[in-house]
Amino acid sequence: MWRVVPGQSLAFREWDGEAVLYNDLSGNTHLLDGGAVDVLLALRAGPLDAATLAAHLADRFDADGEALPAAIEAMLTDLARLDLVESLPC
Amino acid sequence: MLTVADLPRRELAARLAGPGLVLRTGPFANRIRSDIPQLLDGIALLYADYPVDAPGGFADFHLSLHRAGGLRRFFRPQVCFSHEGVAPFKPLPLAQAYPMFEWVMNWCVTHRAHSWLIIHAAVLERHGRAIILPAPPGSGKSTLCAALVTRGWRLLSDEMTLVRLDDGVVLPLPRPVSLKNESIGIIRAYAPDAVFSAPVENTNKGTIAHLKAPLASIARAGEAARPAFIVFPRYEAGAPVTLAPMGRARAFMGVAENAFNYQVLGMRGFTALGRLIEATAAFEFRYSKLEEAVQLFERLARDGA
Repeated sequence: MWRVVPGQSLAFREWDGEAVLYNDLSGNTHLLDGGAVDVLLALRAGPLDAATLAAHLADRFDADGEALPAAIEAMLTDLARLDLVESLPC
Repeated sequence: MLTVADLPRRELAARLAGPGLVLRTGPFANRIRSDIPQLLDGIALLYADYPVDAPGGFADFHLSLHRAGGLRRFFRPQVCFSHEGVAPFKPLPLAQAYPMFEWVMNWCVTHRAHSWLIIHAAVLERHGRAIILPAPPGSGKSTLCAALVTRGWRLLSDEMTLVRLDDGVVLPLPRPVSLKNESIGIIRAYAPDAVFSAPVENTNKGTIAHLKAPLASIARAGEAARPAFIVFPRYEAGAPVTLAPMGRARAFMGVAENAFNYQVLGMRGFTALGRLIEATAAFEFRYSKLEEAVQLFERLARDGA
């Protein structure tokens, strides 16, 4: 399961499939793919795992159904490196 | 309104050596104290048209540039800068007093003025449209800025774009345009009537000369401008002039990298920069010939994107 790191307000601006997002914890601004913002917003309501996220967001991504959970898992790992999301013990 | 040019030279020297010359540059009042003749000459030439306040008046910044004391005074004389009693810079050779003064004026703004998002960028206006040129050194930003200024553009700043946090307008801070090395000769040839300070050699940026800001730009220093374009310039020898649209998110990151206080402002900076990006169109611009660049900018300001 993944959740948004507490304290992140997820302030972002998105234009033409690319977004900038303000990191409340580091003060940095990140350039993100619009898909990463979709993932973050889906997690805002509460923790989800990659498979559930893939089901929610299937129509927003080009990847086929089987590859999508792994792609989202990789994206979550990248977002975790930025301290935007964290994995929860199952 | 009293200007530097209205003060007899003896009075200018007396204010600098005594209570301080209170010089108005854009939204700032600077109290300047100095006993250095080169600095007096530079201020008398390049700041002739700037307003001066009464010596005892309020000042945002307190700058003091003096000759170093001791043996240094006679052997390799140096200039020291202090701001409100603190000396953030190492002393420099006395001959570099004028460029040091300009750097110090920049330092005061970038370190003390956090009511604005301050971008390391030239900003000019024509036909009611302000164009912001963010760029690291070596991009040809100041050369381009100087060329546009000599062709009737209003100079808001060649170095620091002040974006007001409340409403996103750009406040002018028109000051002399700093030119380096071969750019000095290029602009002298491009605008033979332009007024320059005496070039100073061997600074840590090479040879430096300052181009006087146009009187019309100084007179409109209180008049904010609406930003219309953000153009990232790059000089490339032999390159044809090109203007390529840039995605807004990438333009945002490009401006943030060139801002002095984006990190300091935190979420306020993010909000202000987001609004600036929303209100403007961004481009990457390459050029090698100044005249072609000036013509393209004229079309951009006249016709819009």
